[in-house]
Amino acid sequence: MRIESQIEITPASVVLNGKAIEVKESGDKMLVELYRRYAGDYPKFFKMDTLARLGFIAAEILLQERVTESREKRTVDAVILANRSASIKNDNDYLATISDGQYYPSPSLFVYTLPNIVTGEIAIRHHIQGETAFYVLDKPEQLEQIIKSQMSNHRSPIIAGWCECSAPNEYYAKIQIIWNN
Amino acid sequence: MIEQLKSQIIDALNFEDMTPADIDTDAPLFGEGLGLDSIDALELIMLLDREYGIKLADPKSGKAIFASVRTMAEYIQANRTK
Amino acid sequence: MVYCIGHSIISPLGAGSAANYEAIQSGRSGLKIHTDRFDDVEPFCASLFDEPQAFVPLCIRTIEDALAHCTSDICHLPETVFILSTTKGDNLDLLTPAQQIARHFGNPNAPVVVSNACTSGVCAQITAQRLLEAGMYQYAVVVGCDIQTKFIVSGFQAFKALSPAPCLPFSPERKGLNLGEAAATIIYSSEQPAGSDERLWTLETGSIHNDSNHISAPSRTGEGAYQCLIDVLRGTRPEEIALIGVHGTATPYNDAMEQIALERAGLQQTPISALKPYFGHTMGAAGVLETILCAMQVTNSTSYIRPSYIIKMLSGFGGVNAAIRLKIEN
Repeated sequence: MRIESQIEITPASVVLNGKAIEVKESGDKMLVELYRRYAGDYPKFFKMDTLARLGFIAAEILLQERVTESREKRTVDAVILANRSASIKNDNDYLATISDGQYYPSPSLFVYTLPNIVTGEIAIRHHIQGETAFYVLDKPEQLEQIIKSQMSNHRSPIIAGWCECSAPNEYYAKIQIIWNN
Repeated sequence: MIEQLKSQIIDALNFEDMTPADIDTDAPLFGEGLGLDSIDALELIMLLDREYGIKLADPKSGKAIFASVRTMAEYIQANRTK
Repeated sequence: MVYCIGHSIISPLGAGSAANYEAIQSGRSGLKIHTDRFDDVEPFCASLFDEPQAFVPLCIRTIEDALAHCTSDICHLPETVFILSTTKGDNLDLLTPAQQIARHFGNPNAPVVVSNACTSGVCAQITAQRLLEAGMYQYAVVVGCDIQTKFIVSGFQAFKALSPAPCLPFSPERKGLNLGEAAATIIYSSEQPAGSDERLWTLETGSIHNDSNHISAPSRTGEGAYQCLIDVLRGTRPEEIALIGVHGTATPYNDAMEQIALERAGLQQTPISALKPYFGHTMGAAGVLETILCAMQVTNSTSYIRPSYIIKMLSGFGGVNAAIRLKIEN
């Protein structure tokens, strides 16, 4: 397996292929700042929960910053992400809409109470009709094992990595573009 | 009331970059205009319930009610229980 | 390919695959109208256990039942991986129950949880196949489970996706889906079981594709489902498929999309099995439970030729679609 590029995002930093990207904001606001800088043309971003925004931004930066010569090299075969906490932060936001005495379940929050939605958002934005999958795991090494077990299926690179959001302003992503060889 | 409704729509549908002044009272909400989708329609149904106590029995009737901010406001005036 | 060496279903229709198979053969359904299971939610039609079940003990029971049909207890081996398919886990916690289940059986490996919306049960089997074929493990215990809660029911009601009556897959009168709860297990081995008289199956291939269209509505052309079907048809012809286990949620859009995908793949003449009128939509359990019963419909019947092939397909929120192909030789 060969790693073409990697992005690591914490609430206070963004590092692409080892180089820090300057940001003014931090936490949830930082993701909005990055959206305006790297995308800005996709109002659906504001409907997403933090987990989806995190994965969306990571994929957006990774794909924009790719140095690729040919059109063929631009396709991405799959989006495979993982974390430990599934969609817990948004689950709690949804729970607040069905609390006793205030029962108004929000459909737009409910749809994000599945962690794989972030992979769907990335697939829609970048026209990826390959595989999308989400795993809930204890350690990132487990994701490596899963990716290894399927890499021979992919002629184009895949987007894969860890994408976690457990509370407001608390998130972490380490996502890569990976080739089979 | 129309201004308040526009604010509520902006909040409910996460239109971060918009103010009530940006929404044309008579422009179509679906299709062109704001280009809302099926989840937005469901959120608007929830908005009617939460803010105005209106329970929409048949979601299909939503199409006429949500044609524009004005049609929404008229429906609310006629049916609100809050 | 990988080989099923044991399976189990525990549902409101009974404990054990045989009991559940008998239930569908005699036309029994678990669907009932529930009015006071949860506060605040409107009455809904679903297949629920009479007594509320705890997530982890339910999973453990179905795994023990599946093991009872295996020739040896493989659960504690380092060559065995536990894979849990679930959407909302044990009260929104997906990882801890998986760890508790693996630990209960003395398994030393970190378990894998597949959370790919309603396709999880099929995706979990595909994950199992890949890990086994890569030589990373020799056995995979795939357990699918979801318990209905106010959280889930309220959400589907907010989506106006539920039918007030038992669902009608592929019917022009269909009005939406019913929810359900169940647990089901399939144990896969990388080695063909020697001379087993259990009529079991081989998992030959699987495919997952995103529609790249919308996060909660399927592609109108069934794009992702179609891609999955042509992938799993590779190496066979449509005429060789004995049965297709469809997703068949009975929502207006899902069934229309599936029909288009099936027609595009040349499968419009193939018999389909839609099991949600019996069990409701069991979410994380669906892919496992429905695969078992589709296989049993063929293994328990002498009218199918041997070998026979079955396709099981599912779609889910996030635009994801998945399909697997099974071979039945006994």
